[in-house]
Amino acid sequence: MDFFFIHLLNALLSAATLFLIAGGLSLIYGVMRIVNLAHGNLYAFGAYVTAWTLGRALAGAPTPLLYLALPAGAVGAALLGAVLEPTLLRPFYKRAEEYQLLVTFGLLMILGDVMHFVWGPYPLSASALWENSGSVSIAGNPYPNYNLVVIAIGGIAAAFLWFFVYKTRFGVVLRATSQNMRMASALGVDVNRMYVQAFTLGCFMAGLGGAIIVPSQSAVLDMGVDALVLSFIVVVIGGLGSLEGALVGALIVGVVREAGIAWFPEIELAVLYLMAAAVLLVRPAGLFGRAT
Amino acid sequence: MAAEVNRRDFLNTLGVSVGAALTSAGAALPVVGVAHAQDKPKGNIPDTPFKIGHMTFFTGPAAVLGEPMFKGQQLAAEEINAAGGLLGKRKIELLKADENAGTDANVKELRRLKLSEKIDFFCGITSSGNTPALGPVAEELKLLTIFVDGCTDFLFDKAVPNPHYIFRITNMQSADGVTGAVAAAMTWPKTKKIAHIHPDYSYGRNAFDHFGIVMKKMLPSAENVSEGWPKLGTTDFSSHITKAISSKPDLLAISVWGGDYVAFYKQALRYGMFDKMKVASMIAFGVAPHAIGKDHPEGIIAGVHSNYHFTYPGGDRWPYNKTFVEKYHKRFNEYPNFQAEGGYTATYMLKNAIEKANRLAGGWPDDDAIISMLEGNMMAAPAGYVYIRPDNHQGYKDAVTGFSKNVADYPFPILDPERIITIPIRNITAPPGWPKGEPTSTYTWIDKTWPRAKA
Repeated sequence: MDFFFIHLLNALLSAATLFLIAGGLSLIYGVMRIVNLAHGNLYAFGAYVTAWTLGRALAGAPTPLLYLALPAGAVGAALLGAVLEPTLLRPFYKRAEEYQLLVTFGLLMILGDVMHFVWGPYPLSASALWENSGSVSIAGNPYPNYNLVVIAIGGIAAAFLWFFVYKTRFGVVLRATSQNMRMASALGVDVNRMYVQAFTLGCFMAGLGGAIIVPSQSAVLDMGVDALVLSFIVVVIGGLGSLEGALVGALIVGVVREAGIAWFPEIELAVLYLMAAAVLLVRPAGLFGRAT
Repeated sequence: MAAEVNRRDFLNTLGVSVGAALTSAGAALPVVGVAHAQDKPKGNIPDTPFKIGHMTFFTGPAAVLGEPMFKGQQLAAEEINAAGGLLGKRKIELLKADENAGTDANVKELRRLKLSEKIDFFCGITSSGNTPALGPVAEELKLLTIFVDGCTDFLFDKAVPNPHYIFRITNMQSADGVTGAVAAAMTWPKTKKIAHIHPDYSYGRNAFDHFGIVMKKMLPSAENVSEGWPKLGTTDFSSHITKAISSKPDLLAISVWGGDYVAFYKQALRYGMFDKMKVASMIAFGVAPHAIGKDHPEGIIAGVHSNYHFTYPGGDRWPYNKTFVEKYHKRFNEYPNFQAEGGYTATYMLKNAIEKANRLAGGWPDDDAIISMLEGNMMAAPAGYVYIRPDNHQGYKDAVTGFSKNVADYPFPILDPERIITIPIRNITAPPGWPKGEPTSTYTWIDKTWPRAKA
């Protein structure tokens, strides 16, 4: 049992990143009804931008400055999103969903190649924050302090989003657009502006997810595709379009993944898919999803 | 067969050597590189370009292996072309294809390269999932092929047991697990409990199997206490690390590679993993030696896919390596890995076979003449002697591994030059004629013929 708390923290650690990625995916779907397959590589883009900023541009800078620059990837992904939505996605809203899937899937591929072209095939690491942060002893076993930072960032992001969506005027308009775009538009909401803001916010979350894992995991090619698959499991369980669902889904996936690795290594990968299949059978819209 | 021997005698029978043992090159042995004075080719040589289709990973995480493989061949082709081309006439033209397209698409692309592009020679391939699919197709197309990697034992054990057109240059996969286990058993003979972390696909399974069978022979009292099978491409190892630590092993065997390994060791450091156990890796320093940081712990067995690390053979002792590393670094501003060495050596192996065939018959040799010259060919390559066994067309070179160490000369750790471990490849792979076995011929050969060390 001396490893119980470490297992628990590991579960929270993967839940924190998964929530950021899946939360962004869900937010974008909730508002815009677009399944953004490129989301995985916006997460990877955030990771590469942060890795480049911390590892190359600011190499050797003092730790506080590095922490300040950590969200560079989130900002980078948000900027990219703010450009992509009006130029590439907007022309396809009036078309059938298949077109949106094709466009976002194409974008996933293109972004992957762009990152390969810009940053090359080798893993881009920026581990100074990870290395300088040391470890804390938990029941006699070292646990990396930086992981605690990631868990905290995940928690703060969840609280911040809740506040944003439920307690601000922007949130009211966002939810109104999400529930009935035509009505919101008739009442004077600038839907185009709302879409670009929601998409940018979703990309910011994905980029933040990528940014915070860089110090411990590096940025590598194809990280986006893996993250996309996992975050789909999260939203299938939690319900596509629901932030609460993304949070609960991420916690469930984090705990099950940790338990799977520790005690059922044979079905480590299968168990997540089995769970998603079970949720689909019992509650096809996900635990927090609205049947539409 | 299962006689007991003591461990020191065991290591002597394996011919394991620590340090830097090298013999000198024979006078008439083919070497890599372009000699200043070349023999004039016999007969009429056409001056049409010699087309090589090179398929490897240019995208995806395995591009860390694929790009150096292509660069190795590119460097050799540029050298050969600068001297006039193959047999002084035929310039090499390289056509790239991306292995990341998937096995089915790769098979189609191979057919297209042969039928539409009319390539003369096929080279490359990184993944062990692809050689068993492409090998039979290359045979069917009668397309002369040297696979650089895709090193699964399965290719020549089962998929193409009697190859004619296809060859492979880098060591067989089983050599990885065997080399890692021999090195660990000789270095840490008191090991009782072993934890494993391997990527969950054929390479990781192969490493696990062969590490296990060698341990059964050399450290029979050791047992496996933990297994972790992360998906290939995983960069979050927190859970696997915690699991391995909680099983309190003496030794961790790990075959995670590339970006995955970089993430693994950085995380393992903060979880205090390296303080609690010895670590033996099959491939830690094999993939992207310069991507490993100076924070990497010293003294772990840092495998190089049992093939090649650019610092060995070092200094002036083996000029073929020194020259290769200098040229490669000058051309690409990075250090070569085992794939770069494989791509480079494969190209010169081909060039040499073409020249030998020309000396015998004159003119541009047909494929069968080149094939019979490749069979049994031996060459002084950057990594050392490489020998193509005629019966299975597999390249063999002595296996190498070593211990991680930071030195002033490089901004990343290398293999400790004082403690290189080399093992004659003959002693760790099944001999010609050994019956095909399950999971590999080398596995059954070790199981049936190696003695057991006294516990």
